Amino acid sequence: MKVIEANKLPGLAAALAGAGYRVVAPIRDGGEVRMVVWSPGAAIDTRAIPVNSAKDFLFPKAEIIGRCTLDGNDFRPEDVKPVAPKTVILAARPCDASAMLLLDAVFNWDYKDEFFNARRAATTIVSLVCTTADEQCFCTSVGGAPDATAGADGVLRQADGGRSFILEPLTEKGKAVAAAAGAALAEGQAKADAPVEVPVHFDAKAVTEWLGENFESPLWREVSLACLSCGACAYACPTCHCFDLQDEATRAESVRLRNWDTCGLALFTAHAGGHNPRPDQAARWRQRVMHKFSYLVERLGRLGCTGCGRCARLCPAGMAICETCREIDEARKAAVK
Amino acid sequence: MEMIDALRADAAKVLADGRAKVVIGYQARGDHRAPLFVTTADRAASLVYDDACKQNLAVYLRKPEVKLLGKAAVVASPAAMRSLVLLMSESQLTGDDALVLAVGVGEYHGVLELAQVAPLLKEKYAALAPSPELLREIEKLAAKTPEERAAFWAKQFAKCTRCYACRAACPGCYCTRCIVEKNVPQWISTAAAGHGNYAWNVIRAFHLAGRCTGCGACEAACPQGIPLMLLNVLLGQEVEKEFETKAGYDPEAKPVIGSWNPEDEEDFIK
Amino acid sequence: MTENLYQPILMRVADVRDEAPEVRTFRLQFADDADRARFFEKYRVGMFGLYGVPGAGESVFCVASPPTRQEYIECTFRRTGRVTSALADREVGQPITFRGPYGNSFPIESWRGKNILFVAGGIALPPLRSVIWNLLDRRAEFRDITILYGARTVADLVYKQELADWGARSDVRLVTTVDPGGETPDWKGQIGFVPTVLDQVAPSSAEAVALVCGPPIMIKFSLPVLTKLGFTPDHTYTTLENRMKCGLGHCGRCNVGSTYVCRDGPVFTLDQLRRMQTTDM
Ligand SMILES: Cc1cc2nc3c(=O)[nH]c(=O)nc-3n(C[C@H](O)[C@H](O)[C@H](O)COP(=O)(O)OP(=O)(O)OC[C@H]3O[C@@H](n4cnc5c(N)ncnc54)[C@H](O)[C@@H]3O)c2cc1C
Ligand code: SF4
Ligand code: SF4
Ligand code: SF4
Ligand code: SF4
Ligand code: FES
Repeated sequence: MKVIEANKLPGLAAALAGAGYRVVAPIRDGGEVRMVVWSPGAAIDTRAIPVNSAKDFLFPKAEIIGRCTLDGNDFRPEDVKPVAPKTVILAARPCDASAMLLLDAVFNWDYKDEFFNARRAATTIVSLVCTTADEQCFCTSVGGAPDATAGADGVLRQADGGRSFILEPLTEKGKAVAAAAGAALAEGQAKADAPVEVPVHFDAKAVTEWLGENFESPLWREVSLACLSCGACAYACPTCHCFDLQDEATRAESVRLRNWDTCGLALFTAHAGGHNPRPDQAARWRQRVMHKFSYLVERLGRLGCTGCGRCARLCPAGMAICETCREIDEARKAAVK
Repeated sequence: MEMIDALRADAAKVLADGRAKVVIGYQARGDHRAPLFVTTADRAASLVYDDACKQNLAVYLRKPEVKLLGKAAVVASPAAMRSLVLLMSESQLTGDDALVLAVGVGEYHGVLELAQVAPLLKEKYAALAPSPELLREIEKLAAKTPEERAAFWAKQFAKCTRCYACRAACPGCYCTRCIVEKNVPQWISTAAAGHGNYAWNVIRAFHLAGRCTGCGACEAACPQGIPLMLLNVLLGQEVEKEFETKAGYDPEAKPVIGSWNPEDEEDFIK
Repeated sequence: MTENLYQPILMRVADVRDEAPEVRTFRLQFADDADRARFFEKYRVGMFGLYGVPGAGESVFCVASPPTRQEYIECTFRRTGRVTSALADREVGQPITFRGPYGNSFPIESWRGKNILFVAGGIALPPLRSVIWNLLDRRAEFRDITILYGARTVADLVYKQELADWGARSDVRLVTTVDPGGETPDWKGQIGFVPTVLDQVAPSSAEAVALVCGPPIMIKFSLPVLTKLGFTPDHTYTTLENRMKCGLGHCGRCNVGSTYVCRDGPVFTLDQLRRMQTTDM
């Protein structure tokens, strides 16, 4: 098996960077760990859960998808090619890796999105078997697991009590990364550490069922009272994919940008005439939960939540989708009795 | 009696007496603190209060769905009480819109009417100042060259995702249509990049210059860890120096950013 | 190799008509004939497009002209915000961008031999206008065509010339109405709200379908009248105009419950609408 000592992970990153990869890894900067592009000297930290998700590197927060050269009242559309550097995402959490499958489905739903697909094709995801979790993690409630490999091209397992890692390629892309690592990975033996245990908090199938029948439930108003209307949850979420299209221009050129957007913001659905089909935060929070646990299941056959807990860690108002699902599960059980 | 017991007892009492229909306080969920909306006296025992309670609950007094619950009693720290006074001075809150469960520094001041808040602040918390660490950071920043400072902020603002959690968490950011949402004309690029991020962060801070009450809710809300309080406090210090006023102490005060004085110097217009 | 879904094609403004205050119709010509061919291969009535001005953005309008007229397309829009203002400022000969056609369409092939009722209010005639012209261009295939169209005031009626043309035809029954107080001294049409006039006109629902487009309030009060007249929910059609950005089912903006208006709509039967998760109707 391919083994690397834990303190040599930067060496692995350096080898891959040397082989032409843009290396994304969980990097500690002060009190926080973020998924960012590795540069020499950066400290890789696989123990803390990164604040942001790996989605950022496949679906960036702002991206140019159109361009025109302008000439007075005339203009000419230009070709725009995706920016898709060869990338390896090291030590992505399983909840980030599995989110890729939902993003794949969305960005190829009838129409194939060239920008997303180009980056997806250029990206290799090496996930990490979680040996640490926190109280916001609930992957096991939504069909995931700390050692799940869905969406991953390879997997890193912590071994020998944290002294080393085993890298196990799962796909051709994963093998290419292992090969590119060269001498940074040694052939050897190591004993994989046990994955962390994550308790199950609710029954996702039951939640989906309940949602189908409770669009009008008074629960929505109650559970959304604290929600302040912002993008903290959606922008941290590995599966959220909503976007806005906006133009910007100078005299000589205009660009069309695809920017992250979210159903949490009031103006998201507001009509030009002023009418808003989602008039209050209860309607907007309901959309968030319904989209993830009902609509996406119905339309694309997947939950829109991988249980990463990022939204709850970052929400300025302590909202937690896991908590809402748990309350729904309880309401359902109470109704059955 | 422990402070938290007194707070819970008061919460239960204002609800039982019908003086308030909802108490807006904090609950604990593991290490996290989340708002709790208590509508019946028997649930007041779930309220908590400690240093982890960073959110400024005054923000909920403007939320339509919370207003629908009826008159609120809000748990407020001195900084949050300053927000209440700010909102009064800007005609966003009037005399009997809310009650306050006033949590001081190391003591609890009981149930206050809005009108009692400013006198308490003036008496006990007039010298409320940013933390020494924050002041040290500001000094460090001031010692940098303008180029270094620009580079520092450029690096910080580059991280911004334009999630507007900072705005959502701030009681002072109550415009129904924020300037970033105006598009005819479009003042500020909405793309989370470059000049748009710079403009957004600077404008947010300027719209709160002399209005920020120093609660720190925006910085606590920012998922990107951008040190927003550095900007807020810097601008607050400028306003205090130039206009001899500090936000959130005087319900009759005219907001610096929204008032005009014929004697104002105009030498900045060149 | 996939192509950029967002790459627009070029259209030129061939004609501009003012319909009502702030409401304008553009006749647009394809700059490239291959684009024209591609468009008409897909286009059926009911579909929409994204019309844009570089630097301002794109806006969704229905295609207001029928597939039976293949030299151009037309759209009618109201100046409301950033993009529609930029579009309204375009003049004859100037280019705009276009993406589409997107969305589903009215199942007009299944309506052959039937009676067709159109009920429209205000600026919502454009989505029905393409259907009307489509049917009129294939007049022999359909039975009675009744058009009831109302607006707040006489000035707010769009397509005034076409209304006159339709009214002059013996194979169309056109009823126009304006809200009480919206009439002019020489107004010859009805005076009254659309639902009331619909009740008076009372078209037969036998072997018929109804198409209703208009402001929510008009739709709300017209539906009971249609039900009373015997139009069933699965034979009553309307279009939804939710906010859209991509038109492709990707941007997540337009959904009503699990229905994505941009890919599953914008055309729905009343029956479908009633089964959607929304408090909006
Ligand atoms: C399927 C479909 C078909 C449609 N067909 C037609 C049609 O045939 N004809 C037609 O006219 N329209 C039609 N519409 C509506 C049309 O798409 C919108 O009116 C148009 O996109 C408004 O764009 P805008 O850029 O001018 O507004 P923007 O400026 O882009 O407005 C965007 C949003 O910002 C807000 N906003 C911006 N500026 C203001 C302001 N000054 N005041 C208040 N709010 C503001 C609004 O919330 C608005 O929703 C259709 C929509 C759909 C979905
Ligand atoms: S749940 Fe939290 S993060 Fe999400 S929109 Fe509401 S306040 Fe913002
Ligand atoms: S909804 Fe929350 S927990 Fe679920 S995947 Fe998104 S960020 Fe993670
Ligand atoms: S939850 Fe909201 S922001 Fe996230 S993908 Fe669904 S609609 Fe978009
Ligand atoms: S909270 Fe932070 S990331 Fe979000 S808009 Fe404000 S400064 Fe930007
Ligand atoms: S308009 Fe983007 S999903 Fe429908």
